[in-house]
Amino acid sequence: MSILKEVVAELLSMFVADARQTVATLLLVAAVAALILALQADPLLGGAILFLGCIVIVIEAAVGETRRRGRRSHGMRL
Amino acid sequence: MAFESWGVAGPAVTAAFLASLVEVVEAFTIVLAVATLRGWRPAWLGTVAALAVLALTVALLGPLLDRVPIHALQLVIGIMLLLFGMGWLRKAILRAAGVIPLHDEDAIFASETASIQTEVSGTQSSRDWIAGLAAFKAVLLEGLEVIFIVIAVGARPGLLVPASIGALAACIAVLLIGVIVHRPLSRVPENTLKFGVGVMLSAFGVFWTGEGLGVDWPGQDVALLAFAAAFLATGLVTAAVLRRTYARALSDGARTGSALVSR
Repeated sequence: MSILKEVVAELLSMFVADARQTVATLLLVAAVAALILALQADPLLGGAILFLGCIVIVIEAAVGETRRRGRRSHGMRL
Repeated sequence: MAFESWGVAGPAVTAAFLASLVEVVEAFTIVLAVATLRGWRPAWLGTVAALAVLALTVALLGPLLDRVPIHALQLVIGIMLLLFGMGWLRKAILRAAGVIPLHDEDAIFASETASIQTEVSGTQSSRDWIAGLAAFKAVLLEGLEVIFIVIAVGARPGLLVPASIGALAACIAVLLIGVIVHRPLSRVPENTLKFGVGVMLSAFGVFWTGEGLGVDWPGQDVALLAFAAAFLATGLVTAAVLRRTYARALSDGARTGSALVSR
């Protein structure tokens, strides 16, 4: 049973490594889905927002994590 | 194969090969630790048992996936790829910037060996059982990740076989090198591989998620290459900027600390 728990925990951690990044990504996809499916916007516009949004999320996740680690180790400002 | 086929299958084979390479190296490190401590018998038994469970998983999942409508499948897999790929890319950027330490297979081998040694007490067979279980867990976990990657990058008619071939080639490569070298494969440039895989999986994630939502990407597979190029450029620039600013902030912090101490 503990092996099953470990496997499930490990599989979950594959997709939810950083909670902020995970939530931001899911919100972005939901927003794009609403734009295309509910508001009938041009799918290509939705696609562009999805792509650019992902780029921004990656940058923000890396910069945010660097700031947090910097504050934790030396109280320094980044 | 015609050029168009290679244009489609190439990224899938490459992504599956590189991603599987990383996972198989991690599993191999644990299996080698078990084999070093308790011999190859428990290591092989644990590995074979895990491979049997993985084969069963594929046999059960495969037919189920065929029943899911293609757009829904693309959307779900696309989202999972975005979460997985962008997570790997974030970590690879942080490692490249020196914010978090690089993955060290030698250190993992040493710590896994120590961990198995402290767990083993009792009879010889219970020690072999515990060691074999460690090999089983490692191969099962890394194998499940490989299966997900193969299914994810092969989520289009005609791509599952090339993706599977890429994964299989990675397994065979690691096995052959590992058997010859008989040491943890610490020289594999793991962060470079994870960087590349994070870029490709993120690109696939945007591509599939978009297709799942009805986006008709202009240029189709050329768009995939454009996404990969953009994620790569973003990753490299972000890592370079963070490396400079983090190093400067560390030295400023150290100077402030010594100034406070000397007062």
